Amino acid sequence: MLMEAKKEFKFILLSIKYNLAREMTNKATFLTNIIFMILNNAAFLVEWIIFFSIKDNIGGYVLKDVILLWALASGTYAICFIFFGAVQELPNLIMNGKIDSFLVQPKNVLISILISKTKVSAIGDLIYSYILLLIYGISFKNFLLFTLFIIIGGIITTAIATIFGSLAFYITKADTIAGNIMSTMLNFGTYPDGIFKGAIRILFYTIAPISFAIYMPLHIIKEFNIVNLLIVIGYTILIVSIAFLIFYKGLKKYSSGNLMSARV
Amino acid sequence: MKKYLNIFKATLINELQYVSDIVLGFLSFLIKIFIFLQLWNYLYDDPSSLIAGFSKDQMIWYVIMTEMIWYSTRNKTLVNQVTDDIKSGGIAYTLNKPYSYLIYIITKNFGEISIKFIIYMILAIVTGFIFVGPIDFNIINLPFIIIVFLLSFIINAIIRLIISMLSFYIEDSTPFHWLYDKMIIVLGIIFPIEVFPLFLQPILKFTPIYVITYGPAKLVIDFCINSFITIIIVQIIYLIITSILLTLMYRKGVRKLNVNGG
Repeated sequence: MLMEAKKEFKFILLSIKYNLAREMTNKATFLTNIIFMILNNAAFLVEWIIFFSIKDNIGGYVLKDVILLWALASGTYAICFIFFGAVQELPNLIMNGKIDSFLVQPKNVLISILISKTKVSAIGDLIYSYILLLIYGISFKNFLLFTLFIIIGGIITTAIATIFGSLAFYITKADTIAGNIMSTMLNFGTYPDGIFKGAIRILFYTIAPISFAIYMPLHIIKEFNIVNLLIVIGYTILIVSIAFLIFYKGLKKYSSGNLMSARV
Repeated sequence: MKKYLNIFKATLINELQYVSDIVLGFLSFLIKIFIFLQLWNYLYDDPSSLIAGFSKDQMIWYVIMTEMIWYSTRNKTLVNQVTDDIKSGGIAYTLNKPYSYLIYIITKNFGEISIKFIIYMILAIVTGFIFVGPIDFNIINLPFIIIVFLLSFIINAIIRLIISMLSFYIEDSTPFHWLYDKMIIVLGIIFPIEVFPLFLQPILKFTPIYVITYGPAKLVIDFCINSFITIIIVQIIYLIITSILLTLMYRKGVRKLNVNGG
């Protein structure tokens, strides 16, 4: 079991290495994508400086907390799209019958699909997230917890996108639905949870589980709580299992588009 | 002119097939509005108070209008198609066609965003009525507002094309589109110019934000003929300058175009 996991992990790293090598064929574009993504993200600091000039406490957050929130959100997004960059394309691959080439590989089909692409700009998101952690205040404990949580957040985001993307095995608009869910997670996850009241908070623990991916990790970094940490880890295991279950159940209904393609 | 009208009509008919996609896409617009509604509810301790001269209702209607402009004018043709045409060399095939590539793209863009804008406008107004309630709006001002909206869309399309023209020099212009997106979102959608520090306000009036999002939205929530005249003058200046710049960049770009094989 452990050996199998080790092999899969090595396979993921090797695939990312080749993805990056492919993207680096044009070094100027590669670097522009990363640098501009950092600048692009930094623009949102302006938004929050303006908000905090109106009121110095928003939903229980001060500017420093929002910086940590943004660090977690960009880090989570980065891990998802550096390691599992093809998750956004999953519904289209299914709908167009383009997963044949993954089915014949002697590796896990879902993992092979997800790691087949790396979004270069996500490297900019990752660098930006650590720059923000540095501004927030870095310590050995913060660094370890932060790294753990962006990996967990990235896995949760990928699992959710896989679950909704797998709907493409059954319905035609799955790409729009999955896109909307991803955008919901991304949008809500960059605003303080304290401003949202009532039934909407149920959404954060169910369809768009930002609480497990962003909000709970943020509160744990601010004030360590072992129970909450175990809840987040437990939830991650659960949602990943559900994602695999739904994808493989859907895969039984998959029919090829008879498209001749090769992965090189 | 007739050929461009036909391009517009053909694209429009094609887009009618994707109405359900547009409506589904509205969900993400609704989420954004919901977030800002919560945020501004939090910032306005007293609903009758004013922030930078805006009441809570005006502020939320302002965001609804700017988001509506933004979401309905986002279009892959101006960004992806032009960039791909340049990167792949496909733009070379359009050089001997009996139409201008730039006007073709702008017309195609308008064909694509027209249906989207109408649907978003209806849904945005319904959203505004549900979340905030009606605002003080005089129907007589509508023709003026339509002109300002139309110019806003044209200027936005031209600026997008100018950015896409950078692909002639750096292959992928997408990162520059991100920066443009963020400039509009952060400086032109979330807050009216009046919310920014006093020293920044005159500078912001020279940026595309003033003619693309702030101007049209401000006229909807608080129409004033003097504001209309100022906005329209700035829009015309922008239109002239950006059109000249786009033409120059395109002419210079196609001269240095290298196409390998075909």
